[in-house]
Amino acid sequence: MSGEALRSVDLRKIYESRGTAPVEALSGVSMEVRRGERVALLGRNGAGKTTFLKIASTLLRPTSGSVEVFGVDIARSPEKARPYIAVVPQEGKPFFHLSPREQIYTYLRARGFTRETAKARTEDSIERMGLESCADRLSVTLSGGQRQRTMVATVIATEAPLLFLDEPTIGMDPFARREVWASLRSLTQKGSTILLTTHYLDEAEVLSHRLYIVEQGRVLSSGTADDLKRSVGGTLKVQMPEGAAQVDRFRSFGHCVVDGKVLTVILEPDTLGELMDIAVKAQLMATVGPVTLEEAFLRAVGRSIDAE
Amino acid sequence: MQSDVSLGPSRPFAGTLAFLWTEVLVQGNERMAMLTSMVVPGIILVFVLILNPSLFSIALVGAIVFSTFTMGQRVLNEAAYLRIDHKANDMYLAGPMMPEAYFLGMSVGILVIYLTPTIFLGILATFVVPLHLDVGLLLLAVAATVWLFAASTGYVFSTFFRDNRAIWAYSSLFFNVFGVLMPVFYPLGLFPAALRPIALLLPPSAAAALVQAAIGTTTLTSGEVILAVAGLAVETVGVFLFAIYWARRTVREA
Repeated sequence: MSGEALRSVDLRKIYESRGTAPVEALSGVSMEVRRGERVALLGRNGAGKTTFLKIASTLLRPTSGSVEVFGVDIARSPEKARPYIAVVPQEGKPFFHLSPREQIYTYLRARGFTRETAKARTEDSIERMGLESCADRLSVTLSGGQRQRTMVATVIATEAPLLFLDEPTIGMDPFARREVWASLRSLTQKGSTILLTTHYLDEAEVLSHRLYIVEQGRVLSSGTADDLKRSVGGTLKVQMPEGAAQVDRFRSFGHCVVDGKVLTVILEPDTLGELMDIAVKAQLMATVGPVTLEEAFLRAVGRSIDAE
Repeated sequence: MQSDVSLGPSRPFAGTLAFLWTEVLVQGNERMAMLTSMVVPGIILVFVLILNPSLFSIALVGAIVFSTFTMGQRVLNEAAYLRIDHKANDMYLAGPMMPEAYFLGMSVGILVIYLTPTIFLGILATFVVPLHLDVGLLLLAVAATVWLFAASTGYVFSTFFRDNRAIWAYSSLFFNVFGVLMPVFYPLGLFPAALRPIALLLPPSAAAALVQAAIGTTTLTSGEVILAVAGLAVETVGVFLFAIYWARRTVREA
């Protein structure tokens, strides 16, 4: 029995169109997602996240390489892989002339659920996503966040073995995002596997067991959020709003990032005292905090950009 | 290694009824659209009634054929809109629902909703046109064939567009040229003789010509009857089978 819900090996995708140069969106992506895991793909716009998700969800042909979903090769037998998956597409919208309740129910019926199951799951999903107050309003009258919640509720209701969510919480308020997180956690506890893309690094950190940072069609780094944060070179960050001009005094403490007048130093706790002494003597204001995934992401992607 | 997750591939056409019902609900919530489907045939019928009432029965038969033909335009617009604006293809087809079910469910759903104006025209025809049982059955058969041809064509065309704005122009041109300019609302006899074979090879005008001949307002040679019937049947079956193949083929972008 395969313990992997998804495995891709050396996946490449080159977009070719007449009159323009070919664009290599994926340049040999290999990754695996184990059953019951929540894995996030992080990357800048155009990094290749959506292309990967579209190939893995059988909606786009790869140029080379392979993807298996529960052991089924999606290039050879996409129709065998499809019953295992459900997708929240990027920028997808519910049917404007259906209510969320109708949307979820009819979608479940289209996937082959019985009336009773579809009804029960529809009500459950509406409740989990906090859509009770607008469940019978046409989606055309809903806010952007409510529409997005409807999309997520529709797909979550399937409890498919493998869910692909492309920026699932975009446009949602912080409360709604947390409801989605709770629902996704509960789904994986029931055995589903989730691969998602997001630009919200806090979301990736709190929600995912593991993360892949993707840039220009390649996997730059992967691991748990803690693994990635450790790769930055320290566990603490010191920010000095006026410190950029004096960056040379702090280089020996760790990795320094200059952004306008702001200096950020990444370091280990044992050298913090010494650094703070220098900052005080130089009359620099400084704030100390833990390294976040954002630093890890910027560091990984920044290195890649510098290397070009 | 193959998975132990107990899910098999879906059956062909699985999900058709559910998506049909989805489309009925969606279209049913847009009641104005149903009324607008009557505008073109309604205006043409009024013009004919004013300008030449003797052609009204022919125009009425034409309106019935036209109303089923333009359902293809609605399939085209709906399929493209759902794919481009709503990403419904991504959501529905990356799952156990079969692509041909998506196409057929959408087409039949649109038919169910927009059939009301066609039925109204059909009832009107029973008072105006000498509709014996055989002619009535012929009208029903050709209207259904034209619908299947148009819905299949509309779905296939919908996959070629990346922008809805482009679709409005092309779909309007296609359906009006073949549904209005060709002899659908007027007798085939008024169409240039040299171009008659073309009219008999195009499903809407072939369908209209067959009914016109059946009610005695147009004369067709036996060769022309064979051309119209064979053309209508072969083109419709061919386009329908191609649409099913194409629906499966286009689930995955190249």
